Amino acid sequence: MIRAPLTKALSLGSSTSPIHKIAAAAFRTTAVTAQIPAKAPEKIEVFVDDIPVHVEPGTTILQAAAVAGVEIPRFCYHERLAVAGNCRMCLVEIEKSPKLAAACAMPVMKGWRIKTNSEKTRQAREGVMEFLLMNHPLDCPICDQGGECDLQDQAMAFGSDRSRFTDINHSGKRAVEDKDIGPLVKTIMTRCIHCTRCIRFASEIAGVDDLGTTGRGNDMQIGTYVEKLFLSEMSGNVIDLCPVGALTNKPFSFAARPWETRKISSIDVLDAVGSNIIVSTRTNEVLRILPRENEEINEEWLADKSRFACDGLKRQRLVAPMVRIKGELTPVEWEGALIEVGQKVRAANGAVAGVAGSLADVESMVALKDLLNRVGSEAVCTEQSFPSEGSGADLRSNYLFNRNIQSLETADVALLIGTNPRYEAPLINTRLRKAYVHNELEVASIGPKIDLSYRHNNLGDDSNLITQICNGTHPFAAKLKEAKNPAIIVGSDLLARPDGAGILANLQNFAKGFKSTSALNVLQRNASQAGALDIGYQAGVEEAIKSKPKVLFLLNADEAKVTRDQLPKDCYIVYVGHHGDEGAQIADAVLPGVAYTEKTATYVNTEGRAQQTLAAVSPPGLARDDWKIFRAISEIVGAPLPYDSLEEIRDRLDDIAPHLIRHGHLEANSFQTVAPQLSAAPSISSGKVSVQQLSLKDYFMTDPISRASPTMAKCIQAAKKEGEKKAASASC
Amino acid sequence: MAGREAARKVVHQVRPLLSVDKDEARKRVINLYKTWYRQIPYVVMDYDIPMSVEQCRDKLREEFLKNKDVSDIRVIDMLVVKGQMELKETVEIWKQKGHIMRYWKESQDPKPTDFLSKFFNGQN
Repeated sequence: MIRAPLTKALSLGSSTSPIHKIAAAAFRTTAVTAQIPAKAPEKIEVFVDDIPVHVEPGTTILQAAAVAGVEIPRFCYHERLAVAGNCRMCLVEIEKSPKLAAACAMPVMKGWRIKTNSEKTRQAREGVMEFLLMNHPLDCPICDQGGECDLQDQAMAFGSDRSRFTDINHSGKRAVEDKDIGPLVKTIMTRCIHCTRCIRFASEIAGVDDLGTTGRGNDMQIGTYVEKLFLSEMSGNVIDLCPVGALTNKPFSFAARPWETRKISSIDVLDAVGSNIIVSTRTNEVLRILPRENEEINEEWLADKSRFACDGLKRQRLVAPMVRIKGELTPVEWEGALIEVGQKVRAANGAVAGVAGSLADVESMVALKDLLNRVGSEAVCTEQSFPSEGSGADLRSNYLFNRNIQSLETADVALLIGTNPRYEAPLINTRLRKAYVHNELEVASIGPKIDLSYRHNNLGDDSNLITQICNGTHPFAAKLKEAKNPAIIVGSDLLARPDGAGILANLQNFAKGFKSTSALNVLQRNASQAGALDIGYQAGVEEAIKSKPKVLFLLNADEAKVTRDQLPKDCYIVYVGHHGDEGAQIADAVLPGVAYTEKTATYVNTEGRAQQTLAAVSPPGLARDDWKIFRAISEIVGAPLPYDSLEEIRDRLDDIAPHLIRHGHLEANSFQTVAPQLSAAPSISSGKVSVQQLSLKDYFMTDPISRASPTMAKCIQAAKKEGEKKAASASC
Repeated sequence: MAGREAARKVVHQVRPLLSVDKDEARKRVINLYKTWYRQIPYVVMDYDIPMSVEQCRDKLREEFLKNKDVSDIRVIDMLVVKGQMELKETVEIWKQKGHIMRYWKESQDPKPTDFLSKFFNGQN
């Protein structure tokens, strides 16, 4: 396992000059830079194609060229991975140097004149291209990478215009057997150019040392050596990293060309991280989802569920309003369904409740709350519980992550309590891993033994450990206290326990004495939770059940937290959502809403950052925007809500909490220090600390969209099979 | 007082489009009406529309009466000009059957503007 890559050895100092900031950004070593005291080393002047640039010592030629605005072609170099220097595409000429240098690995020296476009450089590139193409099949017309292939583009830009290749008449091109590395990544290994990006990604970022090389020279092969699946929650990223078509998207194979698709920037909602994504669509279908770069949230990675669950958007969809007639849900017209629901709401005389599930957006939750308030009810709550004792959800700092995800890179001691970030928020886990690799982060966990992809100290799964940590009797407590930037990451499921308030109070009291005010981080699992609590929803379904509602609205509530037998016999359940899942099954009326790729809606991630999805495709069948459904019901009930358009409901959001419409902006949190004063009696009941998602097979299906996805089903199958294989080989 | 004087002056100073007074404008309107009226049998024949001459004349009357309350001479003139252009296009068969039938827009429903109807229609 690599713990000190080259970027660290280069050890950039921090500086304030704008040029250096760009260079530092190219480095992505923010974790390192913050650690080093601010003694700016002297800058070096180099000339890239006669453009003078001043860079820090230790900057590579490629980065210096990037500062000068010159892009050097490359295959193996990737700014977020360690430098390999094996593709030789980035060779450049340095004046008065007899040999060409690989720009990605060569640090610049004072006064160097680098020529990135000289005759010699161009010849070198042409030569490298010729060698690469010698063993690369000419199957671009049937290759899925076609149109977004680095090799294709660079062959056009830097390759020779004619071929000297005659070996096809003698021994032919190299052929390599394809590998089966899982249901997500398709391999066509003949196309591989041995850049080793996938290997470096797997070992450095995913922390799964499964990929490697065997053989040397022409016989070199990338693979797992023994037949094995590349099972990681981050495996899809090797598809984006692969510069050629050797690793491609299996569910997307032979589906579309990149130039045929429309690309819409959006937000992922399948976990609470709020990864930025690009939705590729064609003919009103979501074809694939790619990550969009956002340094503060997901860098340029994307978790597998977010990337591959998109085929679940086409299955199990609710496409028409339905009303239960003689015990059967029967499709009806919107008018009929709304009148039916409206009558029930009127007859309920204020005994109405609402439950919002994990995929609900802020707009529709606001509309539901406003509707219920208008008919005289306050019982709106979320499926996920959160302690209401003490200051409860009144203080934002109680339920948010309280720091931006990026700042985890500078953490030095972390304690995970009742959470498995690897599966609850894979991109937060990669940040932790980054801190582990680059910043010597020390991690401990309370909960069942889990594999986090980096070494950590499992303290045990006894709840008393939390008490011991908090009163300082546990040795790890001292480490947290002394740490410069400690992080206590608490799972939202742990706080949903009956003694959640006690745990939170204890931890808040403990965190008071820390050097950093953002030490206590609550990790939510649902994309809707932070937004719901922001707009005044109560956490946990108990409130809704206690109010004995005559009409119950389920907004995307599919976790089956509310069941028929908890409710009064005559309770009329209205489900608003997009998938026929748990919620729709128990409903008396089903009103089809839209999924996150079909609506422009706001979601608040676990940091408390509001972001919006953009509608990429139009909703199927008669489905309507969720908030509009509530708006329509309100009119039928006779208490119309005062907003007709998205802009108007956004104004309403602004009235409630202005941060909800400042998309992408992270509002700083206060009151961390006040919260313990308001907190409830800090008692923690004994028992075990449990985590819902223990292994990879628990990761893939957690919400209605991924449950409807056949790709996710295949992933679970593969993960189970691999687990059995491991168990079998361990027993013999 | 002075303000009203000024306003009247402005009214007077506006350059006429075609007609200088109301009578002239009226004359132009009636002329246009008559020409259309006489053209209608040919329109029915040339365009082979499923309408009788009487129906067309009713429609013609209806179209003119739509603007019966217009009093600004310049606006009347402009409407006359537009009517002449329309007539020219009809006479020269620059139009097609559908363009003529568009005067009877029964197949087109007005788009709803209130929230609920928009919701039922699936309009954004």
